[in-house]
Amino acid sequence: MTTSLITPADPAAPRSPGGKTRRPDSRGLPVSARDALSIAGVWVALIVATTIVRPDFLSTQSLLAITFTMSITGILAVSQAIIVISGGLLDLSLPVSLIVSAWATVTVLNNGLPTWVAIPVGILTGMAWGALNGIIVVFGKLNPIIVTLATGFGGLAVMLIFFKSAQIPAQSDLRLYGLGRFLGLPNIFWPMVMVIVLGGLAFAYTRWGRRLIAVGGNASAAKARGINLRRMRLGSFIGAGAVAGLAGVMFSAVTPSFTPAAGASFQLIVIGAVILAGISLSGGKGNLLVLLLSIGFFATIPTSIAFFGLAPAWALVFQGALLIIAVGIDGYRLKRTAR
Amino acid sequence: MTTTATPATTLFDDPVLPAHRRILNSFRGPVGSITATLVVTLLVGLIWVGPSFFSPSNIQIVGVSVAIPLIVGVMASFALLAGVVDLSIGSMVGFGAVIFNQLVAAGLNAWLVALITVVVGVVVGLTNAFVIVRFGAEPLAVTLGMLTLLRGLSQVIVVNAPPSTLIEPLYNVTQGAIAGFPTLLLIGIGVTLIAAGIVSKTRIGRKVQAVGGDDRAAARAGISVSKVRVIALVASSVGAAVGGILYVGQLGSASNVLGTGLEFQIYAALMIGGYSITRGGVGNPIGGLLGLLVVAGITNILNVTFTDPNYLDLITAAILLAAVLVDRFRGGDSFE
Repeated sequence: MTTSLITPADPAAPRSPGGKTRRPDSRGLPVSARDALSIAGVWVALIVATTIVRPDFLSTQSLLAITFTMSITGILAVSQAIIVISGGLLDLSLPVSLIVSAWATVTVLNNGLPTWVAIPVGILTGMAWGALNGIIVVFGKLNPIIVTLATGFGGLAVMLIFFKSAQIPAQSDLRLYGLGRFLGLPNIFWPMVMVIVLGGLAFAYTRWGRRLIAVGGNASAAKARGINLRRMRLGSFIGAGAVAGLAGVMFSAVTPSFTPAAGASFQLIVIGAVILAGISLSGGKGNLLVLLLSIGFFATIPTSIAFFGLAPAWALVFQGALLIIAVGIDGYRLKRTAR
Repeated sequence: MTTTATPATTLFDDPVLPAHRRILNSFRGPVGSITATLVVTLLVGLIWVGPSFFSPSNIQIVGVSVAIPLIVGVMASFALLAGVVDLSIGSMVGFGAVIFNQLVAAGLNAWLVALITVVVGVVVGLTNAFVIVRFGAEPLAVTLGMLTLLRGLSQVIVVNAPPSTLIEPLYNVTQGAIAGFPTLLLIGIGVTLIAAGIVSKTRIGRKVQAVGGDDRAAARAGISVSKVRVIALVASSVGAAVGGILYVGQLGSASNVLGTGLEFQIYAALMIGGYSITRGGVGNPIGGLLGLLVVAGITNILNVTFTDPNYLDLITAAILLAAVLVDRFRGGDSFE
């Protein structure tokens, strides 16, 4: 069990080498199309149900709220997807990458430096955080879930020790960008779409992307074909960190003031969206366009809950239940394909 | 795990070593590193805090604070041992406490409510187990979902300030003392010793270890892997529910954030104590107790010296990483 299953989950189940390493473009498309259809179906059902109860749900306000929620969640989900697809299991310290990058961006701005310095600094901070995780995982040969569990709690503690809250300068360009809209949707929605499209293309058409999928699908086979596992793993953490850093920059643009704990609320929705999108925790497969649908669905839940007149905490209940169901379906599929 | 033929055992047994070598070797194992960590913690306490660190009143404070996590942790350790991890214990402690507190405040009989809380624990455990065992889903992700779900339910139930409750018998258990020792701590140690006995001396314990160690081999040996895992997950949830009830006794109330992050401290302590999240079959409740004492000792040092409590998570995280690294050097699974 040197490969990616966290626990030897089931005696009859996955990890039979030949069955799982199909090329993503040969038989992958029908599966992801089916995923896309079913997620879109559930999403539409949710929208229809909410509209029946509250006809005023279909409004620009809801659209803005949902796309706004989708933006940062979506970028973070791409970061998480890079880790999961490349077989790095999960990054539980993602909230820390988000907040530490946002904090770096805001600090640069507060020191009077221009925006074009602040944004790269934010992204680089995310990369540095990813590199830290990656180095511990690769050189300690430790399970990423435990490593990021520890760095997640440790990083949060460090941030709580060093700053209580951070504010973005109210008149800065970045802040004004965060308040603005483009084509009727929040400005920050568009970088998210770009990240998803570019990420999806990179996975499908670049050598790095294909290698990441290969490493995630079957690490030993990839190694046998001459792919440097350590470099790929470290690269995936740093790349995912850069994406999370971008999420941090966007987060700082739309949040007038935040505390170190502000990232925690993204954790589950991101993991849930990734798993619901059929990006299996065992690695090696996933489609970022399905991920976009899945994010949309998850982001609609809080707004729907508000329209149903339920307390906001119900969103947690539904998202938790959804994650359980999604993982169940994922496990069931793996079990079936293994037979 | 069960040795059927006697000649085989001699084949695989280590050669008999002289006594001093055997003692030295045992310190190279998990017990040694935990004991070393604990000794370091105590030394730091002695140097930084001074002799008052070992005063009876301070020991009592540590004992009381470690008791409930100990009970929850020992029950959760069965799931770890069986190779499934239950992240939802922190939220389950909170949810159990909230149900218990709210229903008692509503005027129901405390015993009946305790029973209801335990039943809720069983239901949560069965739900986790159903998805994990029946569908072969990833335990971490399933129980992360359950963690969020239960936290959400607690927040739905408790919106404003929670009511306070006082239940005589429960108060006596959580605050009382027998012959100078906190009753709760004695119960916790009792539970640990019983669990240690079950793990190392009984058939059930060996089955759990076998399932966690190598589930295919265990299945071939005729052990029902699913049954063992279902029972382990239910035990873990029920332990958390009981922990919740005890917290209500200790705190007199239950807020909707009770138990947040408790799972991190408990699992960090268990891993320091020789358990592993990534593979089952290793660890012993006694090690878990020592690990929890390390975490509780650090907490106490930070409290007594008025240090920012956030350092606790930082130090725990560092020790946790060191512990898994040491475990890997000792022959634990390496990642890739």
